[in-house]
Amino acid sequence: PPPFQESVDPQKTAFLLRKAWTLYSVTPMYRFRRACLRDYARLLSASIAAEKQKGLAVEVGTELDIKVALSSLAELRGSELDHAALLVQLSSRSKASSRNSEDKLVWSGWFCSMFGDDLSENLPEDFTSLPLFLSHGAESYTALVGSWFQKTFDCCFRRLAISPQNLSWMVAMWAGCKLDRAASAVELVFSVPRLAQPLDISYAIHPEDAKALWDTVQKTPGEITQEEVDVFMDCLYAHFHRHFKIHLSAAKLVKVSTAVASAHCDGIVKILHSQYLPGVLMLLTELAISQIQ
Amino acid sequence: MDETVAEYIRRTVLKIPKDEIKMMLQKWGFLSEAQLQTLNFHQIKDNISQEVVQLCEENSADIKQAALLDIIYNHIYQDKRVWTVYQMKKSGDELEYFDITDFKKKFKRKIRSALKNVTITFKEYEDNAIWIRVAWGTPYKKPNQYKPSYVVYHSQTPYVFIAASVIRSNMPLLCQALIVASNYHDIREMELRSHSLNSLKDIVFKRYSQNFPTNTTKPLQREIVEPENADIRIVQENRSEKERIYRLNQEIFGSGPQPKLEFAQYRLETMFKSDPKLDVLDKKEPFRCLVKFSSPHLLESLKSLAPAGMADAPLSPLLTCIPHKARNYFKIREKKSFESFVSP
Repeated sequence: PPPFQESVDPQKTAFLLRKAWTLYSVTPMYRFRRACLRDYARLLSASIAAEKQKGLAVEVGTELDIKVALSSLAELRGSELDHAALLVQLSSRSKASSRNSEDKLVWSGWFCSMFGDDLSENLPEDFTSLPLFLSHGAESYTALVGSWFQKTFDCCFRRLAISPQNLSWMVAMWAGCKLDRAASAVELVFSVPRLAQPLDISYAIHPEDAKALWDTVQKTPGEITQEEVDVFMDCLYAHFHRHFKIHLSAAKLVKVSTAVASAHCDGIVKILHSQYLPGVLMLLTELAISQIQ
Repeated sequence: MDETVAEYIRRTVLKIPKDEIKMMLQKWGFLSEAQLQTLNFHQIKDNISQEVVQLCEENSADIKQAALLDIIYNHIYQDKRVWTVYQMKKSGDELEYFDITDFKKKFKRKIRSALKNVTITFKEYEDNAIWIRVAWGTPYKKPNQYKPSYVVYHSQTPYVFIAASVIRSNMPLLCQALIVASNYHDIREMELRSHSLNSLKDIVFKRYSQNFPTNTTKPLQREIVEPENADIRIVQENRSEKERIYRLNQEIFGSGPQPKLEFAQYRLETMFKSDPKLDVLDKKEPFRCLVKFSSPHLLESLKSLAPAGMADAPLSPLLTCIPHKARNYFKIREKKSFESFVSP
């Protein structure tokens, strides 16, 4: 796997950072033509307008006009084998306001493939593989956009849950990242739901200390093994057990948070640092692909 | 009636759930029974509150009455706020006779000597609790009625429970006024906070069931359900372990209900120790962590961990000491000579 230091132009990707993205896996799209983005935007716009006429589940008031924009993000891809990321943006402009008023972005979603060759390698010509989908904004818009893509390109969207095992991998990896600025704590949030009175446990470690621990666990720089992640987690569990006599390993890891990114088991991710954007996206692409296969 | 008072009363009534408005107005006692009869409690709350304001207008309500209604609301919905416990210290041992009138006078005098623009309201309740509401202003602005501090003082004890307003700069003055009025010489903030005022009282007044070590091995009661087809030997092992855990829980937590706390926080500054075989971190500095436990009912939750197999029994003293140490915020440092934990 390539090193994480390859970074994309921070300007172009600034809008991705510090937003909570809901994750989906998407099966390959049939007969998707990059040249037809304008047409697709028009069709999607019409589809949304039609749904609104039917009065279906759109939260905004009926005075708002929804404008659709589709664009390519050429930089957001791992290798030449990946298709460029595809960004969908829904903006609203109140009919009542003047022509000069700015459009307000109400929803965005983007399709991405970061080193997703595993899936795209053996695909027939007419298929485009962009297995990871990230959305931010009202659930109702996600449903509208998602169903249009599903109908038009015969693909399938599925929510991407993140298992405790994958969350452990993420927190170990991100805790070890070198950051030039003062970093926030490495936090693991556990839940013990099956008790009569549910219990939540937040375990936050000073980022320097977490990194110091990871640095002694990781044997080969640039490479991470499952064994190393397990040792890292066992160390954290043991330290906790020493104090509280509680077996954290038996609790459910629901969320991890570091200065690089945070991830929740329901498939919600926030990326905080542009430097590590490709690395995070690569990991998420991998998760999406394994859900599809 | 002052417009700001009218608005304040209107907003206070709006906070009250519709089916409790009548009861609260009756408790308030400012409107007569006859006036209350004229109110239509079946309309929307907006209209009810408007009608209440009109009646208050008839009675020429001022800020004092409005503040009293607010205390009544907050007394009933006390769990909406986070209360912090403070402990006062006396210089001598003298048991002084508590004079409520004297207390109120001294309290008001102390606050007003520093700040003219304040609204101070008292209400006494049956359990010897004195509720104090203070709305704070500045030398140039009238008191902000929407961000008052609430103080609950039990005169027979050195404890004060404070739900501070957002304006923290008034805390020193508030603390000063309390010790002057109650004839104490010092006050300190305890590391004990919760939404449940009653539970905080249970903890500091030691009203909860405490751990009394027993020597009797009480047989297991209905608590454990045994699987039907299990191997007899396995069931027997499980059973004695379960009994042991149950007994330990009883010893540590007592058999009565636990005080209701929602969180506990531990700032750990202890050393990281690991199995030397793992060949990991071996620093001479502390492994800094912040651990927060939260639950709708924390102590009951912790009590159920060992029976659920999530924790060892006995549970760590760091957790079980919460009620009798009367704190839920801790800083834990390594004790130099031996393996035990000290909270400073």
